[in-house]
Amino acid sequence: MSNYIPGQPLTAVVERIEILKLRQGDNLILGFSIGGGIDQDPGQNPFTNDKTDKGIYVTRITEKGPAEVAGLREGDKIMQVNGWDMTMVTHDQARKRLTKKNQDVVRLLVTRRSLEEAVKHSMGPCLKP
Amino acid sequence: MEDYDVRSAASILASVKEQEERFEQLTRALEEERRHVTLQLERSAAPPNPPGSQPPAWQQVAMQEQSPSNATSLAMMQEPQEVVEETVTIEEDPGTPTSHVSVVTSDDGTTRRTETKVTKMVKTVTTRTVRQVPLGPDGLPLPEGSSPLGSYTDSIDRRYVKNGGDRFITPQATSTLTRSYNNSYNDSYGEAPESQYVRHYGLHDGYVDLSDSYGSLSRGVNFRPPRYPYLPNSYRPENSYTLPIRKDDYGHVAQPQVPMGISAADLNRSQPERFQAEPYGLEDDRRSLGPEEEEPYELEPDYSTASRRTLQGANRGRTHREPLRDVPRVRGYPDEAIEAELIDERHPYIHGMYSAPLAQPERGSMASLDRMGGRRSPSIDSIRKDPRWRDPDLPEVIAMLGHPIDPVKSNAAAYLQHLCYENDKIKKDVRQLKGIPVLVGLLDHPKSEVHRKACGALRNISYGKDNDNKVAIKVCDGIPALVRLLRKTNDMEVRELITGTLWNLSSYEPLKMVIINHGLQTLTNEVIIPHSGWEHEPNEDSKPRDAEWTTVFKNTSGCLRNVSSDGAEARRRLRECEGLVDALLHALQSAVGKKDMDNKSVENCVCIMRNLSYHVHKEVPGAERFTDPSALHAPGSAGPQRKKKDDAGCFGGKKAKGRKNGENDKNYDTLDLPKRSEPSKGFELLYQPEVVRLYLSLLTESQNYNTLEAAAGALQNLSAGQWTWSNYIRATVRKEKGLPILVELLRSDSDKVVRAVSIALRNLSIDRRNKDLIGSYAMRDLVSNLPSGQQRPAKNLEEDTVVAILNTIHEIVTDSSENARSLAQAQAIEKLVAINRTSQSARETKAASHVLQTVWSYKELRNALTKDGWNKSHFQTTMATTPKATKNGKPGYDDTTLPLMEKNQDGYSTIDQRDKDCKYKTADGPVDQTEREPLKNDTNRKHYIRTNRPAVSLVDACDVKPQPVDSWV
Repeated sequence: MSNYIPGQPLTAVVERIEILKLRQGDNLILGFSIGGGIDQDPGQNPFTNDKTDKGIYVTRITEKGPAEVAGLREGDKIMQVNGWDMTMVTHDQARKRLTKKNQDVVRLLVTRRSLEEAVKHSMGPCLKP
Repeated sequence: MEDYDVRSAASILASVKEQEERFEQLTRALEEERRHVTLQLERSAAPPNPPGSQPPAWQQVAMQEQSPSNATSLAMMQEPQEVVEETVTIEEDPGTPTSHVSVVTSDDGTTRRTETKVTKMVKTVTTRTVRQVPLGPDGLPLPEGSSPLGSYTDSIDRRYVKNGGDRFITPQATSTLTRSYNNSYNDSYGEAPESQYVRHYGLHDGYVDLSDSYGSLSRGVNFRPPRYPYLPNSYRPENSYTLPIRKDDYGHVAQPQVPMGISAADLNRSQPERFQAEPYGLEDDRRSLGPEEEEPYELEPDYSTASRRTLQGANRGRTHREPLRDVPRVRGYPDEAIEAELIDERHPYIHGMYSAPLAQPERGSMASLDRMGGRRSPSIDSIRKDPRWRDPDLPEVIAMLGHPIDPVKSNAAAYLQHLCYENDKIKKDVRQLKGIPVLVGLLDHPKSEVHRKACGALRNISYGKDNDNKVAIKVCDGIPALVRLLRKTNDMEVRELITGTLWNLSSYEPLKMVIINHGLQTLTNEVIIPHSGWEHEPNEDSKPRDAEWTTVFKNTSGCLRNVSSDGAEARRRLRECEGLVDALLHALQSAVGKKDMDNKSVENCVCIMRNLSYHVHKEVPGAERFTDPSALHAPGSAGPQRKKKDDAGCFGGKKAKGRKNGENDKNYDTLDLPKRSEPSKGFELLYQPEVVRLYLSLLTESQNYNTLEAAAGALQNLSAGQWTWSNYIRATVRKEKGLPILVELLRSDSDKVVRAVSIALRNLSIDRRNKDLIGSYAMRDLVSNLPSGQQRPAKNLEEDTVVAILNTIHEIVTDSSENARSLAQAQAIEKLVAINRTSQSARETKAASHVLQTVWSYKELRNALTKDGWNKSHFQTTMATTPKATKNGKPGYDDTTLPLMEKNQDGYSTIDQRDKDCKYKTADGPVDQTEREPLKNDTNRKHYIRTNRPAVSLVDACDVKPQPVDSWV
């Protein structure tokens, strides 16, 4: 992200993750917490080096919770939730998007650094073992 | 592609030929003039400059001499070599002419900082040169005036002459200036700055000539003189000829865009400041500004390129770089991207210029060019060894503000604006050098270029923490001057600058009343009313208009928001300002209608409304007529009286709950609202029950914490106090189903919002029915906001908020054992005891202990409490505070927290306290917001706020910025 050049098409390596919400009492929970948003200070986001990145990031994950089971990891950047863009939303908007009471399943589009690096490696000059 | 090439090649060829012809003509004319000049020179050799034969030159010379900067120029003169300056002068030509045309000038000045700088610098240089001229030994100015061909020609001649005189010197000077030409010619390839230039221009192959001239308009001029002697005729004429024209053309083409570009640029410029100031406003601002921001980019390329190039090409390395840096920082775009855009954009312009070089209307402006040229020519004498010319220093720039020539003034002002951008030191220096009165004086200048640039400089100067700058503007009557200009001008950009400046000024307490005195009605009539869409006498046929969230409106509403916090008198003035409340309400209604409630303008409007709602029940004319009859019997002064009223209400309710409820309902349903023969207007609108729906809509829909807080604060203010209208408001909130909305907001991530909502609930619970409902439905949310012992909840609410919640809980459980029971059922006792025992905050401890005492006072609950493992000791106060003691404390408002507690203790409503609180909020909050500080300051501010003070004031910074929010989902 940090080497993004304005005007250039942006390619991000994304992973689709589908989380089945867990019912806890009256609440449906996903089992992770988010940070970030365009109303937040990106400088305090420990998961990116790009201090202008105001995206929504996964900050914590409940052990054995629905999110972890689905493969979400701490530090993942959430690009979309059920098709809704999450790169230019406030923190609260993201939270609301994730916590719709009438949805049992949440489909996420996430990107994480390890993914990008993996792709970079595979595309770079091939160093075959 | 090929076709295109052929065509363009053909057209280029044709134009070249045409130009050549003209050049020949020119050359001939030049030759003639040279002869002429030589004669004159000989004649005037003994006396330094002024030849009687050429009036124009004369005048110019005289003007130069008069210019305030003479001292400077003298100093400079002592320096023998000013070759560099010559170059500068040349560059100036392009700039100056443009400025005359006004098109170019506006571009430069208005352009982003960088651009501005460039222009300014160039101009500055010119000025100096001029000064020097009179002093200089040469009689150069004379020749200029005499040129037969026309102003255009004249300038060329002058240079020529100069060159002729200084032939050896000239080459040096030329080298710097000529870079652009270097490309086409071989002169100075080695120069690094030029090489950059070349690269850019190299892109447009077919248009090389044009690009050269375009990029280095000034250079072209410089360039030519040196060449003249050395190069073949054909080349010279071209250069000289084409360059000026192109410039003009360029300027011309750009002109239409200029205003937009300028405004955009200004926005950008100013925005950085504002944005930074309001760290959290970013989201909103962005949305509202988004489109505008885009424009600058497109526009920038056109004119900005020109200036930038000039800069680069010119010797401005230092200045130039700085601006560039700024630009990317502000926008977050890398330089390269901008450059690329610029280049792309250039093409169209080139085309335009190419097609009709001479036909431009700007030609008229040529005359001005000549004038400038005349001045400059004298500078030729002074030759500097250092090829680089220096930037004007601050005293020189300020002196230039008084220069007789308008473009110099405006450029100097624009340069000042640039220098002052986020540079407190320079602002201070400008102030101490008495630059501010001069700038203020320029506000009344008839030329829009001049007053615009002066206004821009004032805006940057007025921004920041240094209130002395603001005071300096006020002292020299800057505020009435700004207001005057606002009445006079229709130029949107100027209006934005004016209102932005006023907004900055309004953040300083002592200036608020001054702004109200001079500007309130004007701001309302000129900006607020027209942009709000409100019409005094609505035409029945026309549809009601929507508000327009323009920058001017945003700035103006921000200014009024600040001044509205200046106390009772300020509130009175605003309330009684004709059309203001009506227009603000209309704007907000339209925001709700369009579901566009997150922007800064809405926030400002709601904040004004909240501030004006503060103490309405005491301050509005005729308020006494509406005083709650139940309180009429209360004796004594206002303060005690109110308490008595509250007392009566609260305790009365307790004693005869059912009856009281019935009464209230009946009151609302049958109690006659004061009869009105006509619709309410003006300040009456503030407290009509109709506004409740508006605020509730905002509370439901807005994502902007500040707006939420302000809307809740407005309800809080309106529901305070004992008068008929607050009774209606409290009941209306209930009937409009506002209580669930408010309770929902207790879960907000924003500290401020939670606090404002909590206090509003407290006031609303003065209504008995509300109290029952809140007790039943809000208790859990209230309690969940409380910290448990040392452990703070995720939200980490501030002390003030915790205290506010505790006080609200206290209010709710007072006189209601039912509510106390639900409090206990919400697991609150554990938290309350923990706070009471372990909280670091004395205020929290005290508030918690009040609640506990009240709970324990319900004997019917003790059984259940004991069963849960609590005993009397848990409910006893750990501090030796008696209600009476607290009561005494009340008068001192200094401590915000105390009043709340004490009143509660006495069973009085928290109204007064609330108000106090409110006031703090209003006053401080707006101020902070208004003042845009750099982002870096943000943290500081936060700390500052947190440390204490009316924590409320933090409004903006606090909520958005604080700690990274982390939400479990």
